[in-house]
Amino acid sequence: MKRRLRDIPWAVTMLVPSMALLAVWTVYPLVKAVQNGHLSCDSTGNRCTDAGWGQYKVVFLSNEFQHALLVSIKLALLTVPAGVVFGVGLAVLADKQLRAIGVFRTIFSSTVATSVAVASLVWFVLLQPQIGVLSDLFSGWFPVLKNPGLLNDHGTALSAVALSSIWANLGFTFIIVTAGLQSVPRELYESAYVDGAGSVRRFTDITLPMIMPSLLFVSIVLTTRALQSYGEIALLTGGGPNPQKSTTTIPYLIYGQNSIIHNNLQIKSAAAVLLFLISLVFAVVQFRGFEKRVHYGS
Amino acid sequence: MRRSSSRRSSSLFVLAALGLVAACSGGGSITNSGGTTTTAAAPGTGTPGTGAASTSAATTSTVPLDSLPGCPTDALASTTGTTTISFWHGMSGALNDELVKLTDAYNASQTKVKVKLVQGSYEQTADNYLQASQGNRPDLVQMPEYMVQSIIDTKSTVPVGKCIAASKFDTSAFLPSALAAYSTQGVQWSMPFNISNPVLFYNKKVFVAAGLDPNKPPQSLEELKADSQKIVSTGAAKYGIALESGFDSGGGWYVEQWFAKSEQFYLDGQNGRQARATKVLYNNQTGVDLLTYLQGLINDKLAVNVGDNSGSGYDNLLKMADAKEPAAMTINTSASLGPVLEVLKGGQFPQLTADDVGVGPMPGPDGKPGALIGGASLWVVNSGSDAKTAAAWDYLTYLVAAQQQSEWASTTGYIPVRTDATTLDPYKTTLATDPRFSVAFDQLKASPDAPTSAGPVVGPLREVRSVLATAVAAILNGADVKKSLDNAANQANALITDYNNRNG
Repeated sequence: MKRRLRDIPWAVTMLVPSMALLAVWTVYPLVKAVQNGHLSCDSTGNRCTDAGWGQYKVVFLSNEFQHALLVSIKLALLTVPAGVVFGVGLAVLADKQLRAIGVFRTIFSSTVATSVAVASLVWFVLLQPQIGVLSDLFSGWFPVLKNPGLLNDHGTALSAVALSSIWANLGFTFIIVTAGLQSVPRELYESAYVDGAGSVRRFTDITLPMIMPSLLFVSIVLTTRALQSYGEIALLTGGGPNPQKSTTTIPYLIYGQNSIIHNNLQIKSAAAVLLFLISLVFAVVQFRGFEKRVHYGS
Repeated sequence: MRRSSSRRSSSLFVLAALGLVAACSGGGSITNSGGTTTTAAAPGTGTPGTGAASTSAATTSTVPLDSLPGCPTDALASTTGTTTISFWHGMSGALNDELVKLTDAYNASQTKVKVKLVQGSYEQTADNYLQASQGNRPDLVQMPEYMVQSIIDTKSTVPVGKCIAASKFDTSAFLPSALAAYSTQGVQWSMPFNISNPVLFYNKKVFVAAGLDPNKPPQSLEELKADSQKIVSTGAAKYGIALESGFDSGGGWYVEQWFAKSEQFYLDGQNGRQARATKVLYNNQTGVDLLTYLQGLINDKLAVNVGDNSGSGYDNLLKMADAKEPAAMTINTSASLGPVLEVLKGGQFPQLTADDVGVGPMPGPDGKPGALIGGASLWVVNSGSDAKTAAAWDYLTYLVAAQQQSEWASTTGYIPVRTDATTLDPYKTTLATDPRFSVAFDQLKASPDAPTSAGPVVGPLREVRSVLATAVAAILNGADVKKSLDNAANQANALITDYNNRNG
C-alpha cells in the first residue's frame, strides 16, 4: 500500500504528457463546443447572446439533422455488419499455416496503410462514369454505372460510398481479428476435432465465442467511424446527389463545403455535440448487446 | 445460446437506430435555429414568393469613408530597418509555387518589407481569419469572392479605397468590373488579385461534323439550343451540352452570371451593394425563364445532366471526352483551361485532343456579353501599426502591378486584373500563341457599365448558392421550376435574415 502511494507522483509524471494532449485537443474543445452550442453569435464569435439549451433540441429536431442522422445510420448499417463479416472471413482464411501466408496477410491488411483520401480517390476513379474502368467493363449489365454513375444516382450513391468505406476499413478489421484468432488455444480445436466436430461447428462453437472481445472492439470502432465519416463523402459525392442529399451524413452537414450552416459556428457546435451523444448511445447499446457473450479469457 | 451473436447485436443496433429517428419526426429547418427570432417559413410550408425578410426592405445608403480606418501609405518612409508582415493566402499547388516565386522576388528586391506567406485552403483561411482575435490576424489576407460581406462585417480591415486615395494609386488600367466586384456602398474594400469567369468549352471536331462553323460558338441561349439540335440530329454527338448543378458552378454561380447577363439583380439592395441585402430575387420571371430553358434542354435530350460535379469537379468536362455518349459543349471556369489542355495533350482521349477544344464566351440571354468575376481579392488588415499597413499596401501594389499580373496570369491561368498586363511578356506571348486564353478576359472587358455587372454580395453567399444548387438539381431532374425556386428562395431568405440578425 505504501509502495503504491509512493508510485503516484511517478505515475502522474508519466501521464502528464498524454493528459495534457487530451486536455488541450479533446477535453477543452468538447467543453467549448458544449458551451458554444447554446449561444448565438456573429461570424467572429465576439458578440454573442444566449440562445438557451433549447437550441440543441431545435437542431436535433430540424429536418436537415434528422435526414443526416438517418443517412449516418444507414451508412453504419451498410458498413459495419459487412465490414465485420468480410474482415472475419479474410482473417479465418489467412489463419492457416501455409507457405507464403505472410504475403496474403500483408495484402489483406494493406488497406490500413491507405488513407481515406487515397482510398476515396481510387474508388472515385474506378467509378467515374465517363472514364472509370468499372463503367467501361460492366455498364452493359449495369447501366447505372454509366448513366448517371454509381456515385451520382440517388439509389446507389450511399452504397457506393459504403463500398469504399468497407474496403478501406478491411485491413483494420483483418488485423484485429487475426490477433484474436491467434490467441485461441489450439487444444480447443484439437479436442473438438477428436470429439468429431466439423469445421463449421468448430467455427461457430469455438472461434466465434473466443474472438468476441475482438468483434466487440471492431464493431464499436467501425460504428464510430461510420458515424464520423467525412473524408469519403467529401471526396466521392460532396453529400449528394442533390436534391435528395443522399450521402449528407451528420459530419458532412456540419463541415461540408456546401453546408448551409457553414457560417454558424454555434449551430455547428450543437450538431457536433449531438453527434458525440449519438455515438455514445450506439457504443453503450453495442456493449450491452455483446456483454453476455464476451469472454475475456482468464 | 449458440446462435450467431453478431446477428443479435445488429438487430439491437437497428432497434436503437430506429428508436432515435422515430422519437423525433417532423421539425423545422436547421437554419431556423438560433436565439434570434427569424420570421422565415420552413421550406415547403411557406407561401410561395414571400421572402422571409420581405418586411425589412433594403434602403440605399453609403458608408461614410471617414468612419473607416485610414491607410497611412507613407509610413514606410519614416521606418528604419525591416517591417515584417504576414500574408494568409489560399493558393495551393502550382498557384502557390508562383506566388512564392513572386514574393521571393519582392523580398529580394528591397529591404524595407519582408513578407511571410501562410498557406491554407480558402475555407481554412476564412475560418481562421473569422475566429482569430485581431492581434492574431495577418497584415494582408486573400479572400475568395463569396466572403466580401462577411469580411466587411468583421470591421477588421483598412479599405483599399483609402490606400488608393492616400497614395494616389492609378487604377485607370484596371478592369472596372474587377474593381466593382469588391466595392459596396461607395467603398472599395479590397483589391482584385486572381480572377476567373465561366466560359464555354466546345469540341470543334463535333461542330465540323454537325455542319457548324467551328470558329463560331453559340453566343446566345437560343443559338446554344439551335446548335445543340443540329449536333444531336446529325448524330455528331449524343448531346449538345453537359449541364451540372454544382453549388459553385452550374447550380449557383452560373445562375448569378446569367442574372448579370440579363442585367437583372439577384439580391435586393442592388445585389447587396447599395444596402445590406435582405432577400434573393432569383425566383422572379428571369429565374423561372432561365431554369425552364435549362430544363427544356434536358427534356429535349439536347443536354445531359452530369449531377453535382462533386469529387473532381470535372464530370462535365469528362463528359466531352466520353468515348460512347459525349457532349459537344460544357461551361466551366476559365481557370481550368490550362489544366484541361495539359491533360488532353497527354493523348488519352483520341476523340478530344487539345487542339479540338474551342473556347467561347459563356452563352447568355440574347447573346449579351459580360461576366461576373470569380477568384479572390486582397484585404489590408487593420493591424494598428502604420508601418505594417503601409508595408502590406506596398506588397499589394507589387502583386497587382502590370508586370507581376502578366507573369501571374501566364503561369496560373487566371485573368490579369488590368488591361496593360496583356501588352507585356510573358502574358502577351501566351495570348499570341493561344487566343483561347483571351476569351475570358475579353468577355470580362465587354461587361456592360451597369450596376448589375457587380455580382451579389451577402453574408451567407456560399450557403445561398448551396440552397439554390439543390433546387437546380431538382429542376434538372424534372421538378416544377417555380415551386423549386420559391422553396429555395424561402430557405435562402431565412439564412440571410439569420445572418443579418447576428451580424448586422
